[in-house]
Amino acid sequence: MILYAGKTYDSSEQNRLLDELKDRIPETLAKEPLAPDVVIDAIDKLRQDTLAGKFDELLINLPQDAVESYKAQAAVLLSKDMLRLKLKTELQDTSDYETDGAEGFSRIKVKTMPLGVILHIAAGNMDFLPAYSLAEGLLTGNINILKLPSADDGLSLKLIMQLIEYEPELTDYIYVFDTPSSDVYGMQKMASLSNGISVWGSDIAIDAVRKMAPTGVKLIEWGQKLGFCYVSHLEKQSNADEELVALAEHIANTKQLLCSSCQVIYINSESEEEKKLFAQRFAPLLEEAVGKNKTDEIGVRARDTLVSYTARLKGMLGEEEVSSDVIKKRGCSVIISDNSKLELSPMMCNVLVKNLPEDKLTKVLIESKNYLQTAGLICPDEERGRLTDALLRSGLIRVTKGGNMSAYFPGESHDGDYALRRYIRHVNIEL
Amino acid sequence: MKLRRKLFSTKDPYDLSKDELFIGACKENWSYLVSHCEDYKKISDGLGVKSVDDIKSPENLPIIPTMFLKQHDMRSGAYIASATSSGTSGNFSTIRFDLGGLWADLKMALNMSTYHKILSPRPCRYIVMGYKMHRGNKTAIAKTAFLTTLLAPAISRKYILKFKDGEYKPDFDGVMEAVQKYAKGKIPVRFMGFPAYTFFLLQMLDEKGINVTLPKHSKILLGGGWKQFYKEAVDKQTFYKLAKKVLGIDEENITEYYGAVEHQILYTHCKNHNFHVPVFSKIVIRDPDTLEPTGKDQIGLMNLITPLLTATPVLSIMTDDLGVLHDGSKCGCGIEAPYFEIIGRVAPSEIKTCAAGAADILNGAGK
Repeated sequence: MILYAGKTYDSSEQNRLLDELKDRIPETLAKEPLAPDVVIDAIDKLRQDTLAGKFDELLINLPQDAVESYKAQAAVLLSKDMLRLKLKTELQDTSDYETDGAEGFSRIKVKTMPLGVILHIAAGNMDFLPAYSLAEGLLTGNINILKLPSADDGLSLKLIMQLIEYEPELTDYIYVFDTPSSDVYGMQKMASLSNGISVWGSDIAIDAVRKMAPTGVKLIEWGQKLGFCYVSHLEKQSNADEELVALAEHIANTKQLLCSSCQVIYINSESEEEKKLFAQRFAPLLEEAVGKNKTDEIGVRARDTLVSYTARLKGMLGEEEVSSDVIKKRGCSVIISDNSKLELSPMMCNVLVKNLPEDKLTKVLIESKNYLQTAGLICPDEERGRLTDALLRSGLIRVTKGGNMSAYFPGESHDGDYALRRYIRHVNIEL
Repeated sequence: MKLRRKLFSTKDPYDLSKDELFIGACKENWSYLVSHCEDYKKISDGLGVKSVDDIKSPENLPIIPTMFLKQHDMRSGAYIASATSSGTSGNFSTIRFDLGGLWADLKMALNMSTYHKILSPRPCRYIVMGYKMHRGNKTAIAKTAFLTTLLAPAISRKYILKFKDGEYKPDFDGVMEAVQKYAKGKIPVRFMGFPAYTFFLLQMLDEKGINVTLPKHSKILLGGGWKQFYKEAVDKQTFYKLAKKVLGIDEENITEYYGAVEHQILYTHCKNHNFHVPVFSKIVIRDPDTLEPTGKDQIGLMNLITPLLTATPVLSIMTDDLGVLHDGSKCGCGIEAPYFEIIGRVAPSEIKTCAAGAADILNGAGK
């Protein structure tokens, strides 16, 4: 299904519509740019209707506990105040200003303008991501072409159609296509209409976009990451157990499926003995967190069991590295590894424990420099500043408490960038 | 594969005295697999099954999840045909058949169909609520749907899913038209295929106020599971009542099959609409957290065991289905073999993860 200028069309009409879009875009660009308030109003109405249960039927395919957590997040993050705050944090002051000029140079006026047309290629790995990416494009006043992920089940399209229903002014700024990624011709056509391409996904997806994008188009890439937790001198912390419980709960909650999830726990030590003792101490805490977090949905539990059992079989074939030193617990395990590589765990609450003394931090992490994002840090207060700096210098983007690795912090950047800032241009007019 | 031949020649599919023959055939199959498939041997070793003596009962056999087969192709020895699972989510597994396995399969299918009175010499018209086979579609369900139309001579076959412009689309209007036309004739009609499509068709007929009485001996044969419509699965009684109302087909003429491409046993409903486990296979229900056997009347993952094939190590597989096993006597149809119910499926296996993508690339880059 295609959403084009507020109306839906069959996918087979894609090429005709893309040809038409080429003529439509200049007409829209020639008009007064879309005001952020129009978008904020539409999103806030969507928030109100979501909370009132208007879309419950659409959310039926998602696990119940996830729906509740999404609603709680929507209640806060999609409110008018929070959206305005987001604009302010990410774009700072967007009002026009004039420069002071310098001896021998003309003065200019600086204005913030939308990039123009943004093509969003959204990954299917997070619920609501396609709609979210599009909303960011709208907030910055852009015309948005959204290519839906193949796994999209119609939820994104329905939410986006709602936005148009609330604010018909958005009609000219939203075009949604369900083009499969294999339709290179269609993708190229969309790319050729765009000033910027925002792509979310695996390196393979990003690579494919780089290859097909016209030279000169601005690429806005959101790639995949691996998270870890760094643990230092537990014996010097009075609240060590509390911190470890919080980390265990983070692992149990995210099941290690997110970019920010903890895959590896690094111990600031070279001692094998210390690593083992840590693993033995952590395993029962993880087991308890997993038990507490155990969903009642048998389908989810069974799926998780199958995933880790399948990973175990693959390990036997040497496809996935396994360590023979594993502390197995009900529904989880702690795998004691003898290298210090940052790598993916078997996920589903099967965490790796490795040695990584402080003085080798940068040397080890540089190997994964393009995949660094979140590090949880559990350490004595007096070490926190020093270790945070060491992690940031090694390339980390977020340093959080152990239990908050996947938390959202209003005002945070995404992979080191403020997304909205990449969707605008600063223009200069000579005075 | 002497014991396999003997097992699959069993005339009474629900003969309870074949347990020893069954475990013997499993050991025979296992011994073949470990000597013909290195990966299977590694997995067997890894799971602690190192010799036939480690196999005390079918539940000791190394379990291979279909999820694993979809990610990792395994073969063992010669094969003459292959089929792929219909893969609702993009990934699919390839299952290869050896000649002996194919013969055993055919014998089993004939025995089951005879026992359940589905074989009929009376010609009929088929309405296939599934795929039409074409060169690009190797899915087993398309083949099964076609093969099932051979259980009684076919005068015509009409398919609901048509391949048009590169994809399958359901043609409900065409089928509704055919139903009304066939109702006026004397030749029995057999519906065959996905329950979900069949139920939608019944609902559409009902909404349009089309109520017909199809000729005597018409049947509805359901197979292939509820697919992605699992959430809309209706309770059986609603289905039967609607079939009676809009097509005039009685409950006893509605039969459901269960099977998987990785486990080619043609489970067939008894007269009380239950799937009893025949002598050709065993089903072990396993705890969704620990994979330990749960025993009767408890929901868990379905571990399906049959020594049917040698060309693919599918001796003991675990599907994505959740089910429960009951004592045969509870059914009341007269078959004493235990019967199972499918309760649902595990959550979608395409786990939404971004971390895994990053790791794939890191591993690739390191090479």
